[in-house]
Formats: sequence, structure tokens, C-alpha cells
Amino acid sequence: MSSRLKLTNQHLQPNRLYSGGAVDAKSLGSVNQGAKYTTDFKNYATHNNKIVSYLHDIPLQFDLANKTANMVVEIPRWTNGKFEIDTKLPGNPIVQDVKKGKVRFVKNLFPNHGYIHNYGAFPQTWEDPTHLNEDLQLYGDNDPLDVCEIGSNVGKLGEVKTVKILGSLALIDDGELDWKIIAIDVTDPLSQELFDIHDVFVQCPGLLETTREWFRDYKIPDGKPKNKFAFNAVYKNQEETLEVVKECVEAWKRLVNGEVRSDKVELPSLENVTLEGSPGFVEKYDIIIDSGKVDMEEAELGVEVHKNHFNTQN
Amino acid sequence: MTYTSRALGAANTLENRVFIEKDGKPVSPFHDIPLYANEEKTVLNMIVEVPRWTNAKMEISKEEKLNPILQDTKKGKLRFVRNCFPHHGYIHNYGAFPQTWEDPNVTHPETKAKGDNDPLDVCEIGEQVAYVGQVKQVKILGVMALLDEGETDWKVIVIDVNDPLAPKLNDVEDVETHLPGLLRATNEWFRIYKIPDGKPENQFAFSGECKNRKYAEEIVTECNEAWEKLIKGESPKGDIDLTNTTLAQTATYSEAAATEVPAGTNYAPAPIDKSIDKWFFIAGAH
Repeated sequence: MSSRLKLTNQHLQPNRLYSGGAVDAKSLGSVNQGAKYTTDFKNYATHNNKIVSYLHDIPLQFDLANKTANMVVEIPRWTNGKFEIDTKLPGNPIVQDVKKGKVRFVKNLFPNHGYIHNYGAFPQTWEDPTHLNEDLQLYGDNDPLDVCEIGSNVGKLGEVKTVKILGSLALIDDGELDWKIIAIDVTDPLSQELFDIHDVFVQCPGLLETTREWFRDYKIPDGKPKNKFAFNAVYKNQEETLEVVKECVEAWKRLVNGEVRSDKVELPSLENVTLEGSPGFVEKYDIIIDSGKVDMEEAELGVEVHKNHFNTQN
Repeated sequence: MTYTSRALGAANTLENRVFIEKDGKPVSPFHDIPLYANEEKTVLNMIVEVPRWTNAKMEISKEEKLNPILQDTKKGKLRFVRNCFPHHGYIHNYGAFPQTWEDPNVTHPETKAKGDNDPLDVCEIGEQVAYVGQVKQVKILGVMALLDEGETDWKVIVIDVNDPLAPKLNDVEDVETHLPGLLRATNEWFRIYKIPDGKPENQFAFSGECKNRKYAEEIVTECNEAWEKLIKGESPKGDIDLTNTTLAQTATYSEAAATEVPAGTNYAPAPIDKSIDKWFFIAGAH
């Protein structure tokens, strides 16, 4: 870890003696409110029965020596519900994205079933929508960095995994820069054989090509055009990707330090319970868990969610 | 006429049996359910064994009385098909036609291989994910001739007649028009699905081509005739149980067999080992 990074990290580290302070990624839980697949659903991360934010309070534990970091699983492999960390709501629960009042599901792009990775985000990162990437002439998408975890196990919504960072793809999604970091769970046996993006091409033939097609085409069934990629759709290697993560950590620090202003976009909620001294620090979130709404029966999925979509444009 | 299923034991266990009932009374999905669902023989009944996107190798038991659906085993362990990237489990609602049999004593003149001693396999390509033991009404679109470990193993391509796409699909070329890539993926899937278990790649007859509807209908008729001989006792039955509860003219008709099936249970499925979720990457598969 560079000394500069370490210094800023320390500045933001909660006082370890402060009660209810630092979050241990190994002892996290979560609590569901409302029925899954409805607009009421919220999944909050918890630590010692206290709500913590998936965006601000879960430690990234970015380890430059081992090239690892913690990720939050939003969408388990082979599922369609477009679940994501709600950056605007205090406490930053995972909710299902809503389009035109309806919960959103990604379409099955034949032969793929739902998402083809355990998809999620790096906590304590942010793609800054006020910062122009000079090379690409693009702004960030105002979300934490997206992660595609390629290990064998199917993850769970809200699960926090330590992953090894391998490479990345620079998607341009609706005109915004939206990096997709390729990573693997460090507990997966295959992670012992993957040291850089090249190894993924060799060990998992077809995976990175299919991943690129998937992100290019996934909105076509919704009547949108193909997505584009920066850098000629070439995967960035591990070293380059670590720089991307570093930049997004720096952007997040500026955000939680209250240094970012925007009149164009609504910035994330800054509320947190671990970054003592930061403008958004609170003792606890003003959120009441309704015991009658914990682990309700899931809403039924419509036929449309199971339908295969065939690309008739190719 | 309503078909329902009666489950005994939890899914994903050795004890699990799924019986098919007609109007609440157990019937054999191999022998009792009529192959054709209309007079014109354009609509057929199909029994779903493996729903799309699942891995458990469920199949109609030839040997057990009334031929319930159960999970195949290998060396005493439940069998699950592997996920060969980018596929998740089976890519169709997979199952069989009732009252059909691929006669292992007969060598097919074109594939030069013997039948695999099973009911005829069916791949249903509609948008809905089916359930184990579902009886669907389908129409025939084509057929592929898999040579699975040296035996002819026809895969009939069909679609649920109630699917929104069904009116547009009448023959094999319509499948490529409306579901581009599906036949190619089907070919790839059956060729490679046993590679993760250390077996060689399967071969298709006819260079992998999917034969048209007319050809498929002839195969179905042949297999229906082979089953007729089997149920009449004109072909050696081997280990096959021919007990049925509706074919009064057959020697193996037994009304009592229906009452011997225990009442159904309603257990939650047993958890499936994480190893079943593994994705296998096969170089040069595509």
C-alpha cells in the first residue's frame, strides 16, 4: 500500500476504541425488509445487529500486495433480478432497480441464464460523475465500482467476499464510464492459478469473450442499442486495473470528505456509522427495522423472467 | 383429462419418486399416457423429466412399477449433469414421449446404430420453465440423431402448443429464424455434456444436421410401433416393467397397481452440493 493511501486511510479509519466502530468483514450479517422482487424490498448490511452501509461502512480492505479487496454480491450468478446498492438511501441497502414503477429484471440472452457472474460492487469506491476522464472524455456513473466474480460457487445477495483482482473492461453504459472489474473469490481453488487477466483467457476459455458480448448486448431486448467499450474493448490487465481501483477509492474519499459538489446529479448519501470525523458520520442510522417485514415470502416471478431472448441482429 | 404429479420423498434424494396421475389416479408415463393428444396426431403429449436450467438427471424409470420419474444414479450417487460454459444445466425442458421406445434390437438403417432402450427423448424449446412430471402438449419441429456412446439417441425438437411462438414454428427452418443459434447450441450441448466426466465428445449422425418435421414424425411413428410390440409382448422386454392401469387389453394391465402407490409427500427439496454449481470450461467447444 502506498504511503499516501495509507495516510488517508488512517485519517478515515474509525477510532478502534470507539464502541460500535470498525466493521469486521468476517462478522457481517444482513436483514431483509419487505418481500423480494417487490419495490418494498431492502436488504441492509448489519454488524453486531447494527445497520451498516454497504457503500461506506463495509471495509474495502484493498490489499495491493495480494491484489485483493472485499466485494459485496448484489446479483448471484444465474439470476435476473437487477439488485443494487441504493447509493441515495441512508444506510445504503441493496434494493431492486425500478423502471417505470416496476422492479427490473435483466433478460436472458440465449444461451446465457441471467447474469453469468456473481455480480456486485466494491464498497468504499465511487465512479465520480463530476470528474471528466481526459483520455476518454467520459464521466463516471455515480456508482461504486462494479465487480464480476468468476468463481465456481453461486453467491448470495449481500454476501461479502474477498476477491483477487485480475483485470477489467471499460464499458460505456448509456454514455457513462462504467468499469467492470474481473475478480475471483480467493477461496476458489482456481484463484491459485489465476494471476492476471491472461490466465483467465487460458483457464476459462470463452468466459471473457462471452462477458464482453453479454455487456454489449444485455439491453438490446429492452429496445436499447448495443453498448460500447472504451480502449477498443480490450481487457485491462491486473496492474492497470489496480490503478482504476485506486482512483475510485480516492474519488470515494473525496465524496465522504464532503469535497464533491454537483448541481447536475444527485450524489450518494454520505451517512455512515464508521468514518468518525467525516461530514456524514452518525452514531446510528435513523432506520427502524419492522419485525413484521423480515424475511417475507418472495413475490412470484412472471413468465417473462424465464424467457430466452435471441439476438436476431447478428 | 388432467394430469398431475405425486411426489414421494424430497427432490435430490435417492428416495424421491414422481408418479404421474390422471384425474388423481396413478398411471404409467411410459405406457398409459397416450402419445397423441388429438385425432389429427398433430399435438403430442410429452412428459417433462428435467426442467430447463436444472442439473438433476431425472428420468422415467423403466424398471419400477408404473415407471415413476426418479433421479439417475452413478455408483450409488445421485447424478447431476455438469454445467459446460456458457450453459446452465439443461438448456431445454427435457423429457420423453409416452408410448415410444427406441428398440435396442433394431439397427437404424441410416444411423447404423441400435436404439438406446429408452422412450424417445424430447427437447421442448418454449419460454416457460416446466416442472418435473409436467405433461405438456407439444408439436414436432425436427429431430437430431445423437450417437451417445455408440447408441442412437434421437432428440426430437418440439414446442409447447400454448407457447406464444408456437403458431410461427412449423418446421425446423422456422426454429433458426425465430430462435437463431438454438439448434447450434443444442448440438454443442449434447456433444460436450459428458466431457467433464472424462468421457469423449459425443457424435451426431447426419453431420449434426437437424432433420425436418416430416423426418421427425417418421421417427416418432417408428418408436411408437416399437413400443406397441413391446407392450403386446412381441419384443423381449428385458428389465422393463410393463404394468399399466388403463390398457385393459394388455397382459400387464393392473387396476390394483394404482392403489398400491403411497400417498404423496410434500417435502422441501434437499440441498444440492455446491460442486454441482461449478462451471466447466471446454477448450475448442464452440
